[in-house]
Amino acid sequence: MTTKLPALAFRNIFRNLRRSSLSAIAIAVSAMAIMALLALLECMEADMQTNLTSYYTGEVRIRHESFEKYERYNPLHLSLEVDAVLPLASSVEGVEAATSRINFPANLYLNGKNNGALGVGVDFATEVAFIDFPSLLTEGRIPQEGKNELLIGAILAHELRLNINDKVTVLTSTALRGSNAMTFEIVGIASFPVGGLSSKTLYIPLDRAQYLLRMPGQTQEILLQVAEGFKEQEVAQEVKSLLTTSLGLETETKAWKDLNMMYSLLSIAKLIYYVMAGVFFILGSTVIINTTMMVIYERMREIGTLGALGMQGKELTRLFLLEGSFISMAGSTVGTLIGLIIIAVLGKVGLNFTEAMSGVDMEISSILYPQVNWWIALFVWFYAILIATLSTLIPSRRASKIQIVEALRYV
Amino acid sequence: MSNRTRLVAVTLVCLLCIPFSLAAITAEDIIRTMDGMQTFETSYSNGSIKTTDRFGVKESTFKAWSQGSSDSLIEFTSTAERGQKILRTKGSLYLFYPDAEELIRLQGAALRQSMLGSDISYEDMTEEKNTLDDYTVKLDGSELVNGRDCHVLTLTAKTRQVAYPIQKIWVDKETYLVWKASYSTAQGRLLKEMQVLSTIVVEGRTLPKESRIEDKMKRDSATIMALDTLEVNIPLDRKIFTLENLTW
Repeated sequence: MTTKLPALAFRNIFRNLRRSSLSAIAIAVSAMAIMALLALLECMEADMQTNLTSYYTGEVRIRHESFEKYERYNPLHLSLEVDAVLPLASSVEGVEAATSRINFPANLYLNGKNNGALGVGVDFATEVAFIDFPSLLTEGRIPQEGKNELLIGAILAHELRLNINDKVTVLTSTALRGSNAMTFEIVGIASFPVGGLSSKTLYIPLDRAQYLLRMPGQTQEILLQVAEGFKEQEVAQEVKSLLTTSLGLETETKAWKDLNMMYSLLSIAKLIYYVMAGVFFILGSTVIINTTMMVIYERMREIGTLGALGMQGKELTRLFLLEGSFISMAGSTVGTLIGLIIIAVLGKVGLNFTEAMSGVDMEISSILYPQVNWWIALFVWFYAILIATLSTLIPSRRASKIQIVEALRYV
Repeated sequence: MSNRTRLVAVTLVCLLCIPFSLAAITAEDIIRTMDGMQTFETSYSNGSIKTTDRFGVKESTFKAWSQGSSDSLIEFTSTAERGQKILRTKGSLYLFYPDAEELIRLQGAALRQSMLGSDISYEDMTEEKNTLDDYTVKLDGSELVNGRDCHVLTLTAKTRQVAYPIQKIWVDKETYLVWKASYSTAQGRLLKEMQVLSTIVVEGRTLPKESRIEDKMKRDSATIMALDTLEVNIPLDRKIFTLENLTW
């Protein structure tokens, strides 16, 4: 009898196909929604990681020990000596690339008005490992070292009606707590994936930034990329120790994950969403619980007959459990497949958050391209089946407790 | 007392009161004299601005020229700001930076920005000396400041175009030097304080040589502005105060 149970359970599904389909659809919708949500979260997390390590902090960031404490005062004088720190940090095992950057608040003086922007002094040669400037250019070229040239974000250029070859005067505070202004020629316009960068950032050669900000040979921060197989936190610790022992320099050297609160929040959010996925499936499973309960009540005489013919209570439970699991499997498979198709389409078309993200200062790209993650697909498929099947256990156990005589009398 | 005698007595009393009423000085008179004492046909000075804040002490040196109450030019000579100039002429304020191809005109709120990170704003440094155009004045009484007898006056802004809606100043009764001043919002929130630490006498006028300014919006910050030399009523080329002059 036991060996025939799966076949019997499978056949029973088709006895009321509409009801079975309804249960399967509920599971499918849950699986599909969770699949899409988790893929989007995965995509956001990966995108944020790329953006943070490329445009903001590198994988390891070195700054003057006290910079963060006074950051709101723009303490550019709390700087690092490029020639001393950069080669030493690069010599640490696991450091793949290093670059210097100076971030400074700037005012673009145009037609008698100051327009706020964020200036970044970069070494375009060593930035290759961090920001792929050539691929971001929509017009023009990369600024040259030693020349008063700048590259501007596309949205900022559009808003200020600036074009290639236009000249703009950049006014800022210096490291000596004075002010200074320099006129730059726009030689490049770039479109960054992060809306915030395109709408407020301009990049100038590092040597020009050092001159403008009165920071000869100095930099605000040094960013490192870590080779595969090395842990960022360990490399950061090693660099920090080396700078202390070799130069007697106390720095704030941290891995990117320790620097970005938003990324940590996203990781926590992901965990929360996994719990929410469970709740979603339980909600979806209420339909299958209801179906199983209805089936048990409807087939009470049949249950009695099967019991009279010698079927054990456990076998009855297993029969209904199998029915539930077959429906769950069908629903989960369909839902996961639809989810995969949706993600594949969105991966090509992209999810455009440009409007929604305008004005939001977040290190997430304006257009996201979720990617199919087979592990997530497998997880969702299995998770949906497990929870839905376990849900049917509750009404199925009831079938085993039914008295045969009582069941046979059931009309 | 006959009517005739009464009339003679009243007339005498009135006649006796005339010198006293003539001697009583009004708040407006004090301000007018004070502005006059600070204004010269032309002047040249050099000095320094020493700012102490949470990051330490920063010193900038400058040369300054002025003409009347509304034209002034400041050129910074310290290494960090060498060649930078601030020009106030015809009611407008312009900044010149050696590496900028255009002049920057400061307007509105930008005028109230800190100059070189000090407690002095651009507007403070180049303010016009015609106080009564912008403020109504009230004489509150007298007080001793640094051992000097001073008039205490409250100035209330007539328009919203001024940096400090309320000013309280302590003006020396003899020299008309402002020994102390406090600047507040219309609601009475203290914005800035100024105190003269030492004075210099030029052509019979007592002027501040060293002043301490504290921006109360900043924590642990104070600026001492000192004049090393001050020459007044000297021949100056009128072109000094033109935009064209700034760029050479």
